[in-house]
This record gives sequence, C-alpha cells and structure tokens, in this order.
Amino acid sequence: MKTVLEERKSSICGNRDRGISCERESVSGAVSQRACVYCGARVVLNPITDAYHIVHGPIGCASYTWDIRGSLTSGADTFRNSFSTDLRETDIVFGGAKKLTAAIDELMEKTKPSPKLIFIFATCIVGVIGDDVDAVCRSAEAKYGIRVIPVKAPGFAGTKSLGYRLACDAIMNLIRPHAKQHKPQKRFGVNILGDFNLAGEMWIIRGYLEQIGVPVISTITGDSSYKTLLQAPSATLNIVQCAGSSAYLAERMESEFGIKSVKVSFFGVEDTVNSLLNIAEALGRQEIMEKAQKFAEEQALQVLPIIEKYKPHLKGKKAAIFVGGGFKAISLIRQFNELGMEAVVVGTQTGKKDEYEVINSLVNSDAIVLDDANPAELERFMTEKQADILVGGVKERPLAYKLGLAFCDHNHERKHPLAGFEGIENFVKEIYTSINSPVWKYA
Amino acid sequence: MLNLNVNPCKMCMPMGAINALLGVKSCMPILHGSQGCATYIRRHISTHYNEPIDIASSSLTEEGTVFGGEANLLKGLRNMIDLYGPEIIGVCTTCLAETIGEDVSAIVKKFYEQNPDLNVKIINIAAPGYGGTQNEGWFSAIRSILEQIEPNKTHNDKINIITPLISPADTRWLKDFLTEMGIAFTILPDISENLDGATETKYSRLKTEGTSIAEISAMAGAKLTLEFSEEKNSPAEYLKEKFGVPFIKLPLPVGVRGVDRLIEVLTEIGGAVSDRIKKARGRYIDAMVDSHKYNAQVKAAIFGEPDFVHAMVRLCGENGIFPSVVATGSATAGLRKVLESEIDMCKKFHFESDAQILDDSDFLNIEKACSELGVNLLIGSSDGRRISRKLDIPLIRCAFPIHDYIGGQRTRILGFEGSLSILDQAANAMLEKTESTFRTVLHSKFFKPKAEDKTESHPCFGEGACKNARVHLPVAPECNIQCNYCLRNFDCMNESRPGVASKILSPEEAFERYVKLKDTIPNLTVVGVAGPGDALANFDKVRDTLRLIREFDPAVTFCIATNGLLLPLYASELKELGISHVTVTINAVDPVIGAKIYKHVNYLGKRYTGIEGASILLANQLSGIRMLSSAGIVCKVNCVTLKGINEHHICDVSKAVAELGVFMVNIMPHLPVKGSAFEGLERMSNKEIMILREQCGANIKQMTHCRQCRSDAVGTLGEDVSIELREVEKQAVLQAEKPMLFAVATRTGAVVDTHFGQANEFYIYEGDESNVRFVETRNVKKYCNGPQCDDKGDRWESVIHAVSDCDAVLALRIGPAPERLLKENGIEAIATYERVETAVVEAAKKRRSSYGIT
Repeated sequence: MKTVLEERKSSICGNRDRGISCERESVSGAVSQRACVYCGARVVLNPITDAYHIVHGPIGCASYTWDIRGSLTSGADTFRNSFSTDLRETDIVFGGAKKLTAAIDELMEKTKPSPKLIFIFATCIVGVIGDDVDAVCRSAEAKYGIRVIPVKAPGFAGTKSLGYRLACDAIMNLIRPHAKQHKPQKRFGVNILGDFNLAGEMWIIRGYLEQIGVPVISTITGDSSYKTLLQAPSATLNIVQCAGSSAYLAERMESEFGIKSVKVSFFGVEDTVNSLLNIAEALGRQEIMEKAQKFAEEQALQVLPIIEKYKPHLKGKKAAIFVGGGFKAISLIRQFNELGMEAVVVGTQTGKKDEYEVINSLVNSDAIVLDDANPAELERFMTEKQADILVGGVKERPLAYKLGLAFCDHNHERKHPLAGFEGIENFVKEIYTSINSPVWKYA
Repeated sequence: MLNLNVNPCKMCMPMGAINALLGVKSCMPILHGSQGCATYIRRHISTHYNEPIDIASSSLTEEGTVFGGEANLLKGLRNMIDLYGPEIIGVCTTCLAETIGEDVSAIVKKFYEQNPDLNVKIINIAAPGYGGTQNEGWFSAIRSILEQIEPNKTHNDKINIITPLISPADTRWLKDFLTEMGIAFTILPDISENLDGATETKYSRLKTEGTSIAEISAMAGAKLTLEFSEEKNSPAEYLKEKFGVPFIKLPLPVGVRGVDRLIEVLTEIGGAVSDRIKKARGRYIDAMVDSHKYNAQVKAAIFGEPDFVHAMVRLCGENGIFPSVVATGSATAGLRKVLESEIDMCKKFHFESDAQILDDSDFLNIEKACSELGVNLLIGSSDGRRISRKLDIPLIRCAFPIHDYIGGQRTRILGFEGSLSILDQAANAMLEKTESTFRTVLHSKFFKPKAEDKTESHPCFGEGACKNARVHLPVAPECNIQCNYCLRNFDCMNESRPGVASKILSPEEAFERYVKLKDTIPNLTVVGVAGPGDALANFDKVRDTLRLIREFDPAVTFCIATNGLLLPLYASELKELGISHVTVTINAVDPVIGAKIYKHVNYLGKRYTGIEGASILLANQLSGIRMLSSAGIVCKVNCVTLKGINEHHICDVSKAVAELGVFMVNIMPHLPVKGSAFEGLERMSNKEIMILREQCGANIKQMTHCRQCRSDAVGTLGEDVSIELREVEKQAVLQAEKPMLFAVATRTGAVVDTHFGQANEFYIYEGDESNVRFVETRNVKKYCNGPQCDDKGDRWESVIHAVSDCDAVLALRIGPAPERLLKENGIEAIATYERVETAVVEAAKKRRSSYGIT
C-alpha cells in the first residue's frame, strides 16, 4: 500500500529549500480533507446573524451545515437555522427556480419581522438544471425592496478558496450599492475582517481595540448584521484576521472604498502583541501606539506565569498541525515555539504560496510541510516524525487518537476561545491536558 | 412552510449508503461528485462514532461536470486502491453525478478493462441526494451490494439479517443474541467493529471488519431472511425474488412485543431460549413495572428514521407513554397506517385525542407540534437539541447523528437492555423534572400568602401600621412608559406626589442613606423603591441597592413600585432578592382605555403607542402579577382614577386583579400636574373616590390610607380618609409642631463635656433648628461608678425616666447598653463635644429630618 500518491508528491515538502505545489484542485481518490466551494462561501457568510441563508438544492448541503459553527451573536439568531428548498426528483426534471421563488415568497409572507437580507446559495446541480438564480433574486429584490443576494457556489467549481471569494463578492454586492447611494462619511475606526466570532473571539479582540482607543466600525462577518455591514465603508482601516478567507475582500474594499488593510493574527502572545502594535502603527496615531504598547505589555505579563507553569511539561514535545489556512498554521508554529515545542508536520487545506514560504522559514529543515494532506499522509508523517500532538479539525481527531497522539481542537465548532490573551490559557491548558493525560499510559 | 425546509430532519441518500458501506469488510467508499459531499459526510459520521472515517471523492471539477466525470472517477479508483488496498469499493453517486447523467457502470467496466490484474470488487450505488433520505440510501446500498456481488446459491444453514441503521452497540447485541439463541447468521452490513473499534497496536486505515464478500455471496443460499424494516426497497424481497430465499419482516426488537416476536421467530427455526434470556426478560418486565407510573407522565415527541420511529411508538404503547408527536424526515406514506393503530391504543389509555403524525417533516413543524401538544420528552437524534433548549424539554439521544454528546456509537435501543435504557432515561427525565419543580409548583398552586406579619407591619399594606416608618430610595430615574398624567422632570422639595424626587441616589448612596436613617428612625421597617421612574426599568440599580441593604439588615421588608412592564422578566429575581411586596400601577385592563392613558410604551428596544402599546403593557402586568402571586409575593395594585377616562372602568380593574391574587387595590385620585397631558383633567373628589372604593371593595380589599407620597419619602405614612387615622395624624402633626426637648450632659452648661453615665444632672433645652432655650436642670441619681459599671436595670430605668419626655440626649460619650435602652424609649443618643447651643440646634435639625418633616 502506498502512503503518498505520485501526483501528491509535489505538495509535500520535507526540505525547506524546495517549493511546494499548492492552490490547486484536490486529487481524485486521494481522500482530501477539504470541503467545497459552497462550504467556503457558507462559512464566511454564515455569521451574518439576521440573514436568511437559503440553500437552493437537494437537502444534504443544508443538513450538513446546520448550525455547525460556534459563531456567537449579540443580536438575531436567524443564522443558526437551516433553510433549504429541498429539491426533489421532479424539481430536477422541471427546474427548481419556481420552488425558489415560492420559498422566498413564503418566507416573506410568514416571517415576522420580515427579512431584510437573504442569501441564496446555489449548490452543485442548480446550474446544471438551468435555474436562473440571478433572475429569481433580482425579481425578489424588486418585489420586496430587500436584498436577495445570489451566491452561486457549485461544489465542483473549484476549491473552498473560491467559495471564500464568492462570499467576499456577495458582501461587496451587499455594501456597494448602499455606499454609492449614501457616500458614507469617513470615521476614525477599523473593520475586523475574517473573524467569525467563534466562541466570542471577535468580542475579545474588539475589547482590546477599544481599550487602546481604536473604535470598531464593522465586523465581517462575526456577530454582524445587515445594518452593521453597511457601516463598513466608512472605516479608515481593515484588519484582516483570517487572511485566507478575507484578504480578497480587503483588496476589494481598498480599491473601491480606499480602505487600507493590515493582516493580523491573535493566536499566541507574540502574534497578539505584534498585531496590536501593527494596527496602532497603521493608524498612525502616537497616543494609540503608546496605549497599545502599554496594554500589550501588561497583558503579556499576565499570561506569562500561565505559560511558565505549563512549559516544563511541554518542552521538547513535537506537534503536528493541520488546519484550514496558512496564516493560522503560522501562528500555531509560533505558539508552539513559545511553549518550547517544535512543529514537525505542518499542513493546511488551502494555504497560499507566500504562506508556505513563511511556514518553511519557521520550521526546522527536516519538518514536513504539506498542502491538502490526506489521512494516509498525515498518518505516515505524524508517525515518522513522532509527533506528540495534532492540532486540527473534527475529522482529524479520531485519527490522532487511534495513532496514540494527543489532540487540540482548533476547529470552527469549538466553544472556548483560543484567540487573544484569554485564549492562550485555554490553548496551553488543552495542549497540556491532552499530552499529559494519564490515559496514554494505557492506550 | 411548504416550499422551504426549515431545519432538516433528514440527511441525503449518500449518507445512508456510506454508513452501510462502512459495515462491509475491507471496503472503501468513494463518492462520485464534488469534494464537499465526502468531507461533510465524513465529518458527520466521525463525530457521531468518534472513529476515523475515510471516504474518497472523485473531486469533480468544472470540466468533469461539463464533459463527464469519467477521467476523475477512473483516476480516483486507481488512487484509492493504491492508498487503501481495498477488496471492495463502493462507488456512490451524488446529486451531481446523477444530474449530469454519469453512467457509472460503464465507467467501472472500463476500469476493469484498464486494470485487468486488480482483484477488487467495485459496487456502484445510485444515491442522488434528491432521491430520498439517508434511510433510502442505506437500503439502496444494501440492495446494490447484494445485486452486484457474485451470488453463491449453494444452500447453507444461515439466516440473513437486514436492519435499518442501528448503532454498533445494538449490532453487537443482535449478533450476540442470535448466537446465544444458537442461530447461524449473516448480518449485512455489520458496523459493530468498524464504527466502534478498539485501540490496536497497529492502525489500519482500511476498515478490516464487517461483512465479507464470501458472507455476502452466501446470502443467496441462506435458509431465511429476517428484515427488521418496512422499507419498500427491500433487500429481503430481492433475495426472495432472485434466489428464492424466504423472508420474514418484523419490527425492530424493541420492547416486549418486539423482542418476543424475534424470539418466537428464532424458536420456530430451531433457536433455543437460554435461562439468561428468560431472566433478562423477567428483569425487563420488572423494570417496566417499576417505572410505569413515571412513564405515564411522558408526552413524547419521537423523530427520526421510519423504522426507529415505529419501534419507539410501540415501546411507548407498552409502557403507557403517550406519543404526542411522531415525525420522520422521509416521505413515508405507509408509516402512518402502521402507527395509527398503535397511537389509537395510547389515546384510549390517556383519554387524549391529540397526537400528530408528521412525515416529510422538518424541525420547524416538529417544534410547532411540540409546543401545541405540551410535549415533555424528546426521543431521537441530537438534532432535537435546539428544540430541547428552546422549549426546555429533555432529549433522549438514541439515534444517528449525535453531535453534542459523546458515545453515539454506544447508544442502545434493541433488546431488553436497550429498551430498558430508553425507559430508564424517560422515567428519570420525569423524576428529575418533578424533583426540581414540585416544591415551587405546589407552593404556588396551593399556598395562599396570608396577610403575614410583614404585610401587617407594612405602612402601605397594613392599615394599622402607621407608626412604622418607611424610606423610599430614589435610585430608579428612568421610566419605560409615558403616562399622560405624569411629569417626571419635576424637582421641587415642596412637591409631594409620585414621580418626584429631589436627587437620584446611586446604590451606594442609597445604602448610606438607609444606614443613617436606620440609626435615627428605630421604627424604620420598610425599604421601598418607587421611582421616580420605574423600579424595574432600572433594575440593575435596584438590585445593587437592595443587596447592600439586605447584607446589613436581614430583617427589613423590601417593596418596590412598578408599572409592571418588565415584571415577567424579573419576577423570579424579585423573589430571590427577598422583595416581599410589590405595588403595580394598573389604570386599565382594557387596551382601548389604556391607549388613552399611556402615550407610549418602550419595550425591548422598540416604542409602541396606542392600543398596541397598552396591550403589551397590560399583558405583562397581568402575567407578571400572576408570577408574583405564585411566588408568594404580596401585590398591591394602584389605580389612578382619571375623570372621563377610566372612572367607570375601575371596578373592572379591581375584579381582574383580584382574580390574579392581588392583596389590595389602592384607588387614587388623579393629581393634575401642570405640564402633563392631563393637566386640565378635573380631579375626582374624595367623595367620588370613597364611593368607588366602596363599590370595588366587594371584590378586593381597599387601601384607604394612601398619601401618594414622593419617590424619596422618609418616615411614617400620613393618611387622609379615615377619621380615626386623621386624629392620629393630627396628633403626629401636633407632636411635630411641639418644641423638642433635649437633655444635655454637661457640668459647665457651656460645652457637652460629660459622659452620660457620669452625669449628675441634665440640662434640659427646648427648641427647634433656629431657636433654643434653656428650660431647667434635672438631677438624677448617679448610677455609674467608673469603668466597672453596675448596670442594674432599676438604676437605668430611673435615669431613663428622668429624660423620658426628651427627644434626644446629648453627651460626651454614651455606652452601647444605655444607648440601646434610650433608643427603645424613642430617645436618640447623640455623642458630641460641641458648645451646648450649637449641639442642640444640630440635634434639632437631625430629629426634624428623621420625623420626615421637610
């Protein structure tokens, strides 16, 4: 039995001088851990709390994405429901557009307060059966005077990254007409992009920014709403947390609204501190920089004893990382370094070329770096490199356990924050508890 | 909704097909479609079973969709063979493959041609996502496997077992049970090991347990098939038609009838019932009896796949559980008939007429039915958790998928033990509910708060309590409604009516005020919050204030006054804070009349006017009062009589609130306030008010001693109606007008320089805050000789007697014992080292304020 397919070899890199093949479609039969275009679009738009996310297609896609993420809301919780046109055999034969129109009509008629924003996610077969989703959306907008935005995201059209892009386009589609019409007044403040408020992480970060005197204007899309999203164009700076999903949106906003952006990460002490300072720097106000320095220093001092407490029990342990995007992987490598641990296997689902370059520069030369890894490769390299723990998502957890590895859930379903200074304690504790659990003596 | 599925109670066909393929030995599944299908299904399955689940995907691309996915699938098959080395591959189609019209069998044929040396059996399964649910996918996969694996028709002694999707633990039970009965069998699929595996030294990424190809082939030669399902696409029927294997269909072995039926069939074909099984049956029935009364309280909503739902309804029927809502996500018209007779039986036993069978349902409909029918237990997958949380109904998680708990692979419903696990969980859910609620339920239902001590001594609630003082702490500035008779921007020390306070206090300031007042007014027994806004619209402040005071004084009575808009929100917290009395102002119980009185109502961030506003206010007032009454809080309703607006409606108000358990009603005349919308309204005369009170008195106790006091009032309550009480009031006024007397312990007469206990004589002064006059000196027997104080009661008494007509005693120091004695006699003890005149003026000021005279 092979563990690495020929076609996959260029995406696996055991020597940092070599490049890596990434940003391409998954290899058939390789058992990729990736989801699809629809998934990418859905996860980015999902946290818009008062939007009706209607999945136009057969039931599966709606069923599997019903409330599976830990995005928190301070307002509506409409987004936690799953709406689907639940297409059946006859709809496939005669087309589903009528049912979609009827579904929107019914929603508008029966829902109080009446919806202001609807996203229509067209899944795999919608294009194939010839439904004109754009036309349905246009006529619904005209009929009800609300926003009905199509997100044509057939799973086969590319990778999850394309889905991110489609979501970003949908957000631009939402805010652009409003901005054109109302010419928003610029205000001093930032938008937070690419934070989905998992376990309240956006709230934590917003709290930091407010403490250093930086107002947050809009959040995209964690804990956002129709109304709050429309505020976004008036910001002076975008801070981009999940670069994989939202860097493109930041680009669009820069070219259309003249908003500069800065990439940030709030995982780990080093990245959190740097991010706060970078934001202050980008805003160019001395008093904010001073506050940021003071705040970051104070907070970092507070978490230091926590790290020091666990570090002796973690020092020298080896970590494997397999996460969605490259930016998160980079943060994790640094976080492990802070704990005296070493990342021996690093992979992502949809990392980008420049991110892999950074990853390669951060890990030891014999570490394995791989794009779009599959279970067979993870199994082989984690075993070969004698990893002690895997950081990953839900699907990877049972594999780690079967192989006798500890595991850290760094997924989108978690119910505890891992970002910011508050998240550091959770992260370190989780790593410690899993690696040093007495169960491994018997497993 | 008709065109929109809201919160699906089903998954798609590929999900079921993959689940089935995972129970075949050395089988590796591949989904012919987009990458996402495989990933989503893997995520769902691995979370439920806590096992690594590898499913390949042909990862169809744009190009594949347009020109056909043949190349992708061919490559995928090759790659997965390289990586996993399976003996069987299940190619499962998806929405996409079916819609673009992929001919999978042709592609598979081509693959065999291209790879003649490979010894892999490839099964193709049609599973369009729109063609049915996971249940149809499960059976479709089983049928395809049977159809496509070379049959071995040689007769054998085994029986075939076909079930719907059951848990690995249940599968293990079924296998053990058959073995124990002495029956040889083949179960297809067998997920018992693959989806609930043991930790092994060497990890195998291919699932190596499950039904093997040889076993599947031999199913064609079996002597019988047992199929535990009503599914139309029946593998048993296929085996009969194709190979003449007879079959028996029976329900899942759940409950006595279900398991007995299985035993009966197995006995007929030569099985033997062991003692262990007999004992298990006996124990099960014993347990049914043990829990039958608790289970009779259950009104269940059962949701999930058809065979599961069917089995659960039968279990309910046997145990006196009422299945109020029975729902499947699949469109299974046939199920209704099967369920109806069972449910009818339950209806008869419970004298119930309402039960709903929902097929092709989503959770929106299930939730609606649960609310309508008063369901108190949910049975199904963890997808019911949102309803569980929203409607506060416990959920028994016993079907796929379970995502919020651990142990989905170990859930049991089959056999006596499995059935018992459900019964125990149901009974315990009821016991838990009873245990946690029966005290409050019975208290609120049967305990009628008597006019207890607190009520009798409360100056506003007890008529004979005028001597008791109260303080209104003005900590609540905001109001959430606007009454047309009210104007709250007033700030005048001379104005005395509700809605007026001269200064808003913070909780800490209010606490300080209370501590000071308590010191000077010994009869201060009640702390109230009566505005100047609404106590509940400022609840954070109220809460903080009362907590501080309660810590300092555990005995003081707490009351609040409110318009009632937020009562439902805070009722339980009021109880926790120890608030025993609440006054709610209700001026109308008819929103049409209310609309004339209330300009607007601000509720949950929105402003309502007119009838809408009045209706919201009224609904909350009434439900709030109901909650207070049931929590044992004494309620008084204030009702402002507005001439031409509500004077004919007052008795309706009294009657309505009497039914809610309100203790008394205070019908008040409207005090016209300049600048308010009703400033021009004529005031009701005292006589008219008296007549109203008399009329309404038939329904409910009337308060006749209200003084419509300020939001920062302090002291005793005056009154203006009862002649008897007016006399008391007059005396109080006389008392207040009478010059005050002060006893000063001084040797020189110039400065307060003597210890109270060492004073031979007291200088008696008379006066008020502007004018003091020396009256006389009074000699007392010296009763204290230095630090070793002889505190015999009679001596104390004589000293107290000497100063008994005084309002206060001023001395350099006063010991705690004499201070207490003085206080008990209504004499204040003031320690000071001031010039006598100055000290007396200060004392006079202090006494004035403590009398509540401003």
